[in-house]
Amino acid sequence: MNEEKSLIEKIMNEPQPIPRKVPDYMRKKGGIWYWTGAMIMITFFYEVITGVILLFYYQPSNAYNSTISFLTQPFGTIILTTHLYGAYLMIAFVYIHLLRNLFVGSYKKPRGSQWLTGVLLLILTVAAGYFGYSLTGDVLSADATDVGRGIAAATPFIGSYLEFIFFGAGTSIELFQRLEAWHIIIAGTIFLLFAIHFYMAEYNTIMPDPKEANYKAPLIDKDDKNYKPWYPYNFMYMMQIAFSTLALILIIPSAFALIPNIPPLLSPFPQVSPTSPLASQVPPYPPWFLLFVYKELDFQFASVIGPFWAVAIFTGMPLIYLFLIPLIDRNNDLKPSRRPLIIATGIVGIFYYVALSIWGAFRPGVPVPNSLALIFFVIPLVIMVPLIYYLAGNFEKEKYKNPNAWKIMALVSIAGFFGFLSGMSIYSLISTGSALSLGETVASLVFLALTILAIYAVYGGVKINKNPIRMTGTGYTVFGAVYGLLAVWIFTMISFIPMTSTRDQAMIGIGLGIIFFISAVLTKIYRAYAYGE
Amino acid sequence: MPQENKNPDLSRRNFLKAMGVLAVGVGVAGILRGVVIDIIPPNQNVESGYPTLQLALPNGNPVHTSDLIVNNPQIVIFNYPLQNEPNFLLRLGDSNNNDVAVQPTEVTIPATGAKFTSPGGAGPYKSVVASSAICQHLGCVPPEIRFHPPNDTSYPGKIHCDCHGSTYDPYQGFSVVTGPTQSPLPNVKLVYDATNDTYSASLMIGPVIYGRTSDLSGGNPISGNSTEVTTIS
Repeated sequence: MNEEKSLIEKIMNEPQPIPRKVPDYMRKKGGIWYWTGAMIMITFFYEVITGVILLFYYQPSNAYNSTISFLTQPFGTIILTTHLYGAYLMIAFVYIHLLRNLFVGSYKKPRGSQWLTGVLLLILTVAAGYFGYSLTGDVLSADATDVGRGIAAATPFIGSYLEFIFFGAGTSIELFQRLEAWHIIIAGTIFLLFAIHFYMAEYNTIMPDPKEANYKAPLIDKDDKNYKPWYPYNFMYMMQIAFSTLALILIIPSAFALIPNIPPLLSPFPQVSPTSPLASQVPPYPPWFLLFVYKELDFQFASVIGPFWAVAIFTGMPLIYLFLIPLIDRNNDLKPSRRPLIIATGIVGIFYYVALSIWGAFRPGVPVPNSLALIFFVIPLVIMVPLIYYLAGNFEKEKYKNPNAWKIMALVSIAGFFGFLSGMSIYSLISTGSALSLGETVASLVFLALTILAIYAVYGGVKINKNPIRMTGTGYTVFGAVYGLLAVWIFTMISFIPMTSTRDQAMIGIGLGIIFFISAVLTKIYRAYAYGE
Repeated sequence: MPQENKNPDLSRRNFLKAMGVLAVGVGVAGILRGVVIDIIPPNQNVESGYPTLQLALPNGNPVHTSDLIVNNPQIVIFNYPLQNEPNFLLRLGDSNNNDVAVQPTEVTIPATGAKFTSPGGAGPYKSVVASSAICQHLGCVPPEIRFHPPNDTSYPGKIHCDCHGSTYDPYQGFSVVTGPTQSPLPNVKLVYDATNDTYSASLMIGPVIYGRTSDLSGGNPISGNSTEVTTIS
């Protein structure tokens, strides 16, 4: 039987044409969800290019000063800040990619091993992020390496070896040399594993809409002769995505660089040196993607079992669960309503991650008693799992007539989250009356209102014109000319900005970002006009 | 659903293509400008002139005369004028370890025949001198190049580089004693504050520091207004 062959056997013995033609629906409305992996790839390549330039300037013997001096180098601010935010975006895209594939069930046959390499890539990406932000030598990096050393040293039996391997034998030069080496080694490993992951994706094909196969695995895209060729149709679409991603990477940190007194959690710049008298005023934050671990170390029982076991339990358990998902959920049902356990744990997992991160950001280092920890971890599980089972049963019996029912449910839970946040911040506003509470209240109420508006729109309150008026050829031409000239104008503007101050460099970064956003729009216009897509 | 545009106007299509290429082109040009600028190493003069930096101990206190040992066999260095430019700090004495006053002298640069006047010693006994610790021959740094006290069996009272044998005389403005070097070590002018018993580096005199187009380029400036004096054991 065909099914008995291993993936390696199939790949080696039955080579497939690469790159494959991809289905036309991947470029239609909603097709963006098939491209979450491509966005990770683009951010990764951006990180490699900026990282190689940073490699010319970084001195492990002089870590903090060489990092700070690079900010005054022409383009230095742009490269250093976008290298950080490119990494932030890459990690965010990795999580989005993982959750998307979790909810649509693409870990099922034949993509089990592809899912496993994906989870490995998640670990490597976060590890590269950890070593990367520790390289700057600022006060946050000193805190991070202290915590990392503590966790490594507390590992049973091999603790001291692990600490020496990752952080060196104690001198500052050796520490930063090792951090740099590990940062680059992990980046290289990401590339190798990504190549395997990508080849598996090409081999297993894109997962078509499960509706077409009556929600049964294995789902494989059958090469349709009517699919348009890869070049130029798919190439242009990929370029559009690449330009948009590049615009995001350039604009976000440059805009943040212009905000004075930005909190350390959002700041695109290194903080002060650990020997500076101002160092004690910087809260010892990790970057956002590690905030959840940081808060977990505040739990009372975590201080009893020690940092190693706390981290092993809190990050190890979810990772082992992710590795085991293809084995836990083995049947061939792809319909979300027939996989209530996976969906429920996925939602609870998102809640834990987001809630722990927000908790860690606003109450860093405040100890959490065991009773509160128990409530925090048990209540969402007790509520969500039966609720999802109940809703899944109803979906199976087709009790919900509205085709957008699941979207409404998802939005209602998000509205509930913001409602809870608004309540908390209104309480805090009344009891303390601080400006911070006022800001929090306004922000959470705005998000609550937006979510309610979205529920109303999805429920059918807002009618979207189903037949959009197609622009004429002249319309496309006029828009194309306006955008093209705008790009040239912005280029002229930013070419005359001196590159000395951080502020000027941030303006150049925003300008370049807008140019790439215009490039994405022009690509879309061209595709619409020339290919009718 | 928009219909496939079977026969779009070719010239309009080309115009849109040109606009797209233009936008991407200026974007790439903007990025490439950054790449090219940053791949060329920065060689601008980071300091407009020589900074005056007080010599300080690793604990931040200024160096006093009593902190310096006469004929110290250990290597004492500080960076000046930039972070990666090490200099010897010597308190010179005779074979009985009594301070020797170092007078300004005229030093010849054998490579060019040019002459300069050394700053001489600083401090209460005029015995404290400093010079670049980068050998003028091929750029060896301490501990390969180091000062041998007058009681040493080899090269007594001289600075000798173990790499290729260049020897300099710190008592005579770090002038060349034996080759292969063709240039004396650049002298650091030290200013002594008698009221507070402190020392400051204020100027480099003589040839340019080895491997530099100028003493003030090719490195990062030292932050703050003091430079740390460290001992290599």
